[in-house]
Amino acid sequence: MAALALTWWGLRTEPRRGRRLTLLALRAVSALLALFLLLEPAVQLLQTARSRLRFAVLVDTSRSMRFPIEPGGASRAEAVAALLAGQRAELSRLAERVDLDWRGFDAQTAPADVEAAARGLPSDGSRSDLLGALQAAAAGPGRRLAGVLLISDGADNASLAGGLTPPARAELRALGVPVNAVAAGREPPRDLAVERVAAEEFAFVRSSVTVEATLRAHGLDPGPITVVLRREGAVVAQAVVQLEAGQDRYQVPLTFRPDTTGTFVFTVAAPVLPGEAVTANNQRSFVLRVIRDRVRVLLVAGRPSWDERFLRGLLKQDPNVDLVSFFILRTNADQPGPQDQLSLIPFPVQEIFGPQLKTFDAVVLLNFNYAPYRSLDIERFLPNLRDYVRGGGGLAMVGGEQGFGEARYGATPLAEVLPVVPLDGAGLAEESFRPRPTAEGRRHPITAIGAGEAATAAAWEALPPLEVLNRTRPLPPGSGAVVLLEAPGLLVDGQPAPVVAVREVGAGRTLAVTTDGSWHWGYLAAERGGGDGAYRRFWSSALRWLVRDPELTPLKAEPDAPAIDPGASVGLSISLRGADYGPAPGRKVAVELVAEDGKTVARGEAITGADGAARVELPAAPPGAYKVSARAEPVPGGPTETAATALTVRGAGPEDGDATPRPELLSAIAELTGGDFTSLPGGGLPRLHQLEPEVVEIGQRRELPIWNRWWYLAALCASLGAEWILRRRWGSW
Amino acid sequence: MAPPKLSRRSFLASLAAGLAGAALPARGRDSVASSPIAIGQVQHDGRWNPRPSALKRLGWELARRTSIETTPEPVPVRLDAPGLHRHPFLYLAGDGALPPFSDAARAALRRHLQFGGFLLVDAADGSDGVGFDATVRPELARVLPSAPLAPVPQAHVLYKTFYLLDRQGGRVVTRPWLEAQSLDGRLAVIYSQNDLGGAWARSDLGDWEYPCTPGGEPQRETAIRLGVNLAMYALCTDYKDDAVHLPFIMKRRT
Repeated sequence: MAALALTWWGLRTEPRRGRRLTLLALRAVSALLALFLLLEPAVQLLQTARSRLRFAVLVDTSRSMRFPIEPGGASRAEAVAALLAGQRAELSRLAERVDLDWRGFDAQTAPADVEAAARGLPSDGSRSDLLGALQAAAAGPGRRLAGVLLISDGADNASLAGGLTPPARAELRALGVPVNAVAAGREPPRDLAVERVAAEEFAFVRSSVTVEATLRAHGLDPGPITVVLRREGAVVAQAVVQLEAGQDRYQVPLTFRPDTTGTFVFTVAAPVLPGEAVTANNQRSFVLRVIRDRVRVLLVAGRPSWDERFLRGLLKQDPNVDLVSFFILRTNADQPGPQDQLSLIPFPVQEIFGPQLKTFDAVVLLNFNYAPYRSLDIERFLPNLRDYVRGGGGLAMVGGEQGFGEARYGATPLAEVLPVVPLDGAGLAEESFRPRPTAEGRRHPITAIGAGEAATAAAWEALPPLEVLNRTRPLPPGSGAVVLLEAPGLLVDGQPAPVVAVREVGAGRTLAVTTDGSWHWGYLAAERGGGDGAYRRFWSSALRWLVRDPELTPLKAEPDAPAIDPGASVGLSISLRGADYGPAPGRKVAVELVAEDGKTVARGEAITGADGAARVELPAAPPGAYKVSARAEPVPGGPTETAATALTVRGAGPEDGDATPRPELLSAIAELTGGDFTSLPGGGLPRLHQLEPEVVEIGQRRELPIWNRWWYLAALCASLGAEWILRRRWGSW
Repeated sequence: MAPPKLSRRSFLASLAAGLAGAALPARGRDSVASSPIAIGQVQHDGRWNPRPSALKRLGWELARRTSIETTPEPVPVRLDAPGLHRHPFLYLAGDGALPPFSDAARAALRRHLQFGGFLLVDAADGSDGVGFDATVRPELARVLPSAPLAPVPQAHVLYKTFYLLDRQGGRVVTRPWLEAQSLDGRLAVIYSQNDLGGAWARSDLGDWEYPCTPGGEPQRETAIRLGVNLAMYALCTDYKDDAVHLPFIMKRRT
């Protein structure tokens, strides 16, 4: 540049501008050529190529793809297959540039191929995990991922179930590739579903329980529908839901009071409406274990007595017993004085023997005669008491001058459930006797007060004698009644009179204690230094037996979990105790899985081990609710022990429960990652955005000098020569 | 000891008593209790039975007023003799100093009470700091050393087990309260210094044997009602504290 400036300055005397410029140009050309020759430039030759990338095509294979893509249309999976078949040419062209990585996905991803995808991949996955599939594709083997084509209904029920949360967005960004999406389905199909049921695992008997059901309704006409809660077929609660236009979710509280303890299958069911896409999701089952808070006992005594005093004291002390007592403190014949100076209350016969009766686990009638209180007309409630027992209640009748035949219970409906035959008008036996356990009584939990049969017999022999006995007769075999204690010297019809007898009647249990002297086994025995343990054990066991305390249930069957995944085997833990309530080894226990329609779907059996325990594995059962019925093979002459529980085999869960496509989720994913989006039906493939392939060097580099050509030197000489000639001619020196 | 002679006076008394009994209203007895309550009266080495007719009369009143049935006569019991537990309700009365119990008697009484028994102690001499009172207090403390005598509060269920009571009865009113020893939340021993037996005692002729001072017959009626409540408490304990009774009782007390 400096040379050019000097040249221009040297030509300042040349008046013609054209000559000046010509000379300057020639000098510039010469300078450039000289510079070129001085720098000795060369060309470097490099062999390069673009790297081939991978492009993932992810096709949803979850069960929700079975739903129609539009009302009355083909399934979503079929629509996707049609799209892929129709776009094979486009995909083939794409395959020329990139490696296509075909995968089906649900909870997992699995390799697929284009042919299969075009025919339609089977839709049987139990979950849809979009993010998981994208991450698996990104981490997949082979070439670097350039982009993804995600074909799904968007019904994610994994980490994107809640939409694109900030963590989910971060993870999608971390993929670093455009995700192009095709949404299979835009509008939810016409469907009513019990989407979710929120219920506790346990509930307390007779306490209000609320089950919260979530209904989802799409495309349905506004109007009322009735949702019911069933316990093994019987409706226990229902609610009317008003479907509104524009609202798709409804919370439905269903409240009921379980009146029986046990493990039950409950089902929330919505009606099946015409034209629904899916009917399997119109009900949902769950298992609820109904347990006791405290045993609620009603103690009714015909008069204050020591028998009443000590039994009340025992029950009041028991923290597991909620005791309600009613004692007849005066009769109409008594003259205590003005009523307002007394603390007495009217006997609430209507309340306790009427509607409230079923709130009690057990009723104890202790030396109580129903007849004398004519104004109360207790007799009209005796059928109710009988039905209470048959329905699962526990009833104990304790003797005295107002019990059994002395009160002529033999002619009442209670005689149908009592464990002995009251001999009306036979009179009390008032002589000293020592009750003796029968063969059954030596093993029965109520009367087995010793460690083993011999010890039990000895323990009863050692207790103080009784002095009063109500004459009763044992029930014949087959009645479900068993005499546990008998009075050896007091014969009725030639056989020892029962002292303690029990009976299984209907769903309930009854106990007869035909004396008002059971307190002798405690308080009188305590005088001798032996304590009152026998009395306490007797009544405590009697109460637990009456109310079917699970601890006294010889056979137990517990599923590993109350709800089992579809396809999983059903594991059950069995425990069996013998008549002495110790482990019962070597006994065969048969188990059945019974569906709601009463059909047995699976059977199994096991032999109990040394600890009385056994495992039973039943084969997988279809989704639904089941009762588990276990039955122990009886020992000769012994009772057949049974146990029942319940379980559910889950349906496909959210895949079958929610038919709603989520195109907006797929669109948001595409937008976030820089991909394109289309939707079916109607749409084609989106423009497939992908990363550009990288250029890589292959082979060796080579340098070719380009300055050493002769014409560069010739050109330099020519330009310098031309300038010299012109200067000379124009006189510009 | 020679049998007592039947004098003209006693014969006439018995005859009059029989007639009086017939004239009385029929006892409220729908059925005879198969196991009537036999109150055991503690025999000790002092004057153990100063009011011989008291418990009999209390039993009669119980039968007339309530559904409690007692044996016609109380049963004398010795604390150290077998059979004490046949009588969960014991009555210990005395007039004058109470001779100390033997260790065996004390242990037997303690066991009786600890397993659920009930003891009514009645100072027939109405003493306070002397006589029976001065000797029975240390004796009770030795029987149940961990359960000191303490006044029974007016709100205690004892005063509403049958009658609603707000005052004390007795032949005298030495103390306008009862004292008690409690075991496991239950009144196991109740001590009255007001000679309840003296107010209950009635001769075969139907005469009250002792006047009640200073309240006269209302004080006697209160003593009888207190006796009924004591028997109810022994047999039903805190039954009237059950929730179902409270609304009725509150209504009547207001």
